[in-house]
Amino acid sequence: MTIADLWDQRISAFLLSPSQFLATSTSEIFLAELLHELRNDKINDQLKILLVSALLEHPTILCPSASVGEETALELLSIFSQTPQKSISLKCNVMLAITNVIICTSCLATHTKMAEDWLDLLFQTIQDTNDYRCGQSQQPLRATACDCLREMETCSPGLLSQKLEALYLLKQQETSVLHQSYCILYTLGLKNAIRILTNQKEVTDFEFKSILGGNEGFAWRTNQNFLPINMIVQVPQLPQGLDCKELKSIMSLLLEESYLLTPISQSSLMRDLVEVVAMVPGLSPTLFKSQLLRLFGTAEVVLMHATLFMKDTFTDSLFTAEDENFLLKRLVGSAQHPLLRIPEKLFYMDCILHFPENRPISSSGEECLPVLVTPRLAASLLPTVFNDSATMLCRLNLLCLVHLEADEGEADKGIAYLFDHIMALLKIVDSDGSREVVVTSFRALFIFLKHFNGMEELSEKLIDKLRDIYSRHCRLAPNLIGLADRIQECLDDPIWSVKLLRGLQKCIMEMPPLQLTIHNLSWHLKVLKRVAKEGQITQRNTIYLLLNVLINSNLCERGKWQIGNAVLAVCRNLLEHPSIDQVFIELADLLQYISVNYNDTDIKDHARFYYTLLTNLSWEKLTGVLAKGPDGGRAKERSHSAIMAESEGIASNLTVCKTERHVLQLIKIQDKVSQSTSESSESLEDTGEARNWLEVYQEQFQTPGFGSEVTLRYNLTHAEETDPLFDRVFSICLHFEFKDSNYAKVSDIHVPCVFRDRKPPEVNVQLKPFQPYPTTLCFSAMFTTQDGRSWHSQLPDVSISFPEIFLPLPIATNASSACREQVFDHIWESAASGNPDKSAISLFCFKPGDESLADLIKTHFQGYLITDQQSERFWKVLFFLPPMCHVLLRITQAEDAVQVSIATDNWELLPFVNSYLRNITDDCSTTVTDG
Amino acid sequence: MSIRALWVVSHEKGESGKVRFSRRFPTVEFRAKSLAGSQYVAVPEDRVIPQLLLTELGLVDADKSYVDIRDDCARQHRSPAVELLIDGQGGRTLWPVLTVTQGTLILACLPLVEAPPEPRPPLPSLASVSQGLAFLSGLQDFLCGSGGKPEPDVLASRLGALPSVLLQVCPLGRPLDIPPPSGLVPSAVAPSPGGAQKQPAWKAGVHRGRAVVSVALTEKVRSMQYGKSSRQDIWDVYGVLTLPPNGSPLQDILVHPCVTSLDASILTACSVDENDGSAFSGPYKFPFSPPLELFRLCSYTSQVPVPPILGSYQLKAEENHLKVNVVLKLHESVKNSFEYCEAHIPFFNQNLIGSVEVKVSSGQLEVSKEKNLLVWVLGQKFPKSREATLEGSVHFSGTVTGPSDPLCTGLTAYVKLYFRVPDLTLSGCCVDQHSVQVYSSAKPRIVTTRELVSSEYYIWNSTGDAPVSSGYTVL
Repeated sequence: MTIADLWDQRISAFLLSPSQFLATSTSEIFLAELLHELRNDKINDQLKILLVSALLEHPTILCPSASVGEETALELLSIFSQTPQKSISLKCNVMLAITNVIICTSCLATHTKMAEDWLDLLFQTIQDTNDYRCGQSQQPLRATACDCLREMETCSPGLLSQKLEALYLLKQQETSVLHQSYCILYTLGLKNAIRILTNQKEVTDFEFKSILGGNEGFAWRTNQNFLPINMIVQVPQLPQGLDCKELKSIMSLLLEESYLLTPISQSSLMRDLVEVVAMVPGLSPTLFKSQLLRLFGTAEVVLMHATLFMKDTFTDSLFTAEDENFLLKRLVGSAQHPLLRIPEKLFYMDCILHFPENRPISSSGEECLPVLVTPRLAASLLPTVFNDSATMLCRLNLLCLVHLEADEGEADKGIAYLFDHIMALLKIVDSDGSREVVVTSFRALFIFLKHFNGMEELSEKLIDKLRDIYSRHCRLAPNLIGLADRIQECLDDPIWSVKLLRGLQKCIMEMPPLQLTIHNLSWHLKVLKRVAKEGQITQRNTIYLLLNVLINSNLCERGKWQIGNAVLAVCRNLLEHPSIDQVFIELADLLQYISVNYNDTDIKDHARFYYTLLTNLSWEKLTGVLAKGPDGGRAKERSHSAIMAESEGIASNLTVCKTERHVLQLIKIQDKVSQSTSESSESLEDTGEARNWLEVYQEQFQTPGFGSEVTLRYNLTHAEETDPLFDRVFSICLHFEFKDSNYAKVSDIHVPCVFRDRKPPEVNVQLKPFQPYPTTLCFSAMFTTQDGRSWHSQLPDVSISFPEIFLPLPIATNASSACREQVFDHIWESAASGNPDKSAISLFCFKPGDESLADLIKTHFQGYLITDQQSERFWKVLFFLPPMCHVLLRITQAEDAVQVSIATDNWELLPFVNSYLRNITDDCSTTVTDG
Repeated sequence: MSIRALWVVSHEKGESGKVRFSRRFPTVEFRAKSLAGSQYVAVPEDRVIPQLLLTELGLVDADKSYVDIRDDCARQHRSPAVELLIDGQGGRTLWPVLTVTQGTLILACLPLVEAPPEPRPPLPSLASVSQGLAFLSGLQDFLCGSGGKPEPDVLASRLGALPSVLLQVCPLGRPLDIPPPSGLVPSAVAPSPGGAQKQPAWKAGVHRGRAVVSVALTEKVRSMQYGKSSRQDIWDVYGVLTLPPNGSPLQDILVHPCVTSLDASILTACSVDENDGSAFSGPYKFPFSPPLELFRLCSYTSQVPVPPILGSYQLKAEENHLKVNVVLKLHESVKNSFEYCEAHIPFFNQNLIGSVEVKVSSGQLEVSKEKNLLVWVLGQKFPKSREATLEGSVHFSGTVTGPSDPLCTGLTAYVKLYFRVPDLTLSGCCVDQHSVQVYSSAKPRIVTTRELVSSEYYIWNSTGDAPVSSGYTVL
């Protein structure tokens, strides 16, 4: 496999799922690899573009902090400047990546030096109008720079507000196809500048003019994103009476040239210009008059949409009543034009229902039919069975609204048509229509009923038809139940659903026994279960039927659990039925029959239990016991419903309650004691036995599990604020999970109890790294409260930093310091000579600050010191990282700086070592050199 | 006015979906996050996208007759935008996801919602929605071309070219243009024209090759004929042309953005309008500056007094066979010179065709290989009388059932016509070669063609129930 293939695989894996990809590595390492490879001269542009794509798509994953972002952007910038001019596509991609990183890691928002330099570079790039200086081959770079600037202006509105004159001149000069990019960049800058000005209380003519004449630096401010003006209640406006002559001529020119832009860019331009006119009272909307005809006739959905935006903003100050009528007709025409695509037509129908009328009756933002849409106008949008399902549903919804508002005569005809249409759909369902047809037909039914459920005659007919269809196609049970549920939810009056369910119950009762096959029966039981929920429907027939079926068939002998369970599910709902007293005896008979005859012990038991409940509890108590509380309602959580059949959430409801809030947390115990042992044992100086300590050292690793674990100590305490309920918790089981797979699974830890007013118990978490990288530990706790309930709670994540995984050299405590040094030197030498091949050497320098070097070493390296020759200003430090990695430091103090030579047998650790060292020497000035 | 992410997903039958291409725009995501605040829903990783999309489009668990999350009747699938249920029902949703499905390909994008997160704003109030729709249409043409399904290797190479196309048309999530049609990778850019004249952004290059203006006018005719007095037959005509026509009134005219100016009277005729008497009837003039690729100058619809072929279809069931009678009459105004003309007579919900005893007055009759369809090939001409008949009986045999169709049950049946007539339009719309004026130093040759093509041309059996196909006839 070539390098290119390998990268191809890795990058695709990363893009498909960054979290899974990084589970076996870390973002730091991957980023370092990417940047390293981008500097490799031997690989081609194509591969480099692929590498950049990772940064282009997931900059925040690869650069999790602003500082990493800034460093990465700097790296990319140096790659950018070293890339030869002919690699134009690569340069464009790197340019986009830098912009992405700068914006997404907030380098732009916090006004870093890097962002400023980058803006300067971009601005410089776009000044080469008409490719005078760099030649036409560099045009794509200029186009990309324009877009980068536009994106930066969007994310930090007003950035270009002091550069508008320069931008205007560039826009005027440019005559190649790129004039579009300059044009929309300028317009965006202009719009944002004016928007910012509207925030000022008083605006003088001078201030207003100076916007257009601005030719200064970038304006760094922290403006939030601006919402488009149709999204804010009050359009911000400049004061009246400003001199708008210059702005007006600029606007006219922009409009005049607008047709030169691609439709999509034209629509952006139009929208920006509309916003400008709306904010400047001195500009009249009639500026747009010259463009209207062209826009009305357009085949482009973007331009039609921009026209509607214009209409929404200016209403009758730009559009006469005649224009409005005309525009609406065009919309209706377009919504069914045979030469437009389906999504466009659906969108146009949506636009009709949100048409910005000059005189709107309501402005709720809800779907609302414009007054001008009459049944006649909308006739071409009547749904037919030949429509695709989305078009059909969309048309049906629109036409329901049309005929809901129509005059009587017309409405009758229209509603009759729509009803016939629904019947035609049901006929198709009846003739074994496909699943898609069935689903679409039920959606159509829902729409129709939502609007016309009040028309009793029609809704009765529908019930008859549905009952009729059900008698032949009982597989439609879930669709019918779903329809009954949804209609009940959406209408205040549940009567239609009740009637439907009653009809279905009747239909099942009347079915000839031959049709009650096991297969059909399971559908019927689903329906009956739903029917049993309706207090208004008498249930006697249901019980008779169940009893009848059980007695007269071999169901009881066959004893299928599923069927038994389905029957019990009906019974369960029957137990809760308000008029249970009317059928008390019958239900008791049924339950008793099952408990005696059904050939399945579980079903028998359940039936007996229900029987006991029924015969021993009053209805109020019974329903109290059975009621399944809404999630979170404590009182009912532990109800017996959990042990009933057919309670869907059986697993979660059974015993464990959930709490969203953090109840407990782990607090790291700060100590450095454990490492002091080696020093105290120094007296056990060996007797010069000529042992090869390296061999001894390496032999140890033959023992399985040697030195593979790090133990971290935590206190388990209560989280800040918790319910007094949780003041005393017992039998805590902590369950751990890693966000990546660099560590072995940690087994659960059990803690007897945590009391708020007592000393917190200590928890030792044993980590077994596969790769000793920093990580985050997620964990949850199960515990019991005093009232006997069990709880499940997520705890705050614990992050494990790099130094927390450090261990001292794992060697016998009686080893002399000479032996230690011998081991140190051996490892150093082999690392320096590149053995094993992942070894690397690096150098880190810093100037000691106020804190003396000795103090620094004492605080951070105490337990890891191999040699401490403070007099000679020389130290050796070794960090052991399980499973078997070493990081060795040789610290020497030169005249004005401290040099830390680093050796490791795993170069992937270097970025962490570097950031660790940087961290602890934060107050000192540092330089890093890679070895 | 931006999109947060873009996907091309393929779903072959019986397989789970696969992301063929995806692109995220992190700076747009950055804005989405700050706009939505605590209501922000991040775009899920690509590995879960296909499942979410397919669930929403009803394409998962094909073997299960009802799945709540897929089939709930209150979930309205009548908008170009769907919402992806990231945590299942009742959980967080990603909205609005625009989708376009072509064959086994699903193209999807997520426009940025530039609005306060609550309540959910109406789709038409979001600028990025129409841009997303236009972009997806362009992407569809780029990947699939105009003709249906591209070959796998063609598709793969087009997908491979997509990153460089996006670099030009949508580098940071804010579309500047749509992808070029039919997998064309844009050629090198044109040099700036001299002087102060600006190059249109939709014409990136210069035309090289012979100076020819070729104008094609394709008109399609749809028809539903029922052969009943109770139900009115319907037909309509729509067309695409690339230069101005003269003739009967055209309606619902939609023009390409390269047209520089329009006469208001051209646009007034509208098929949904009730009083159409004073409609403008041409000549229609379109001044325009053509882009480099093939383009659709103008689309229209038109109403003509009679359908080009009037048919009648009668089907009677007798014991174990069907008696068939079809009559087709070509209207005298239509030129009797077809490139092809065929009538297809399918039989649904029956056993396979056994023997056929049918006579035709003109052309040949064939039984399809699948034994469920009669194909009546009328060829290039109708007979002199302009009338052709088919009569006889069709026997069904065996136990193997043919294809089923839930619509065509009982005697509900149709004949579908396929024909193409070169050099003809029903609306009379034509492009006068001499009226094409070209302002160019090169004297181009001007070629004009026109044709009439059938589209959804049905003749329903008059002895059975036929489905309603347009609301017009009822109201």
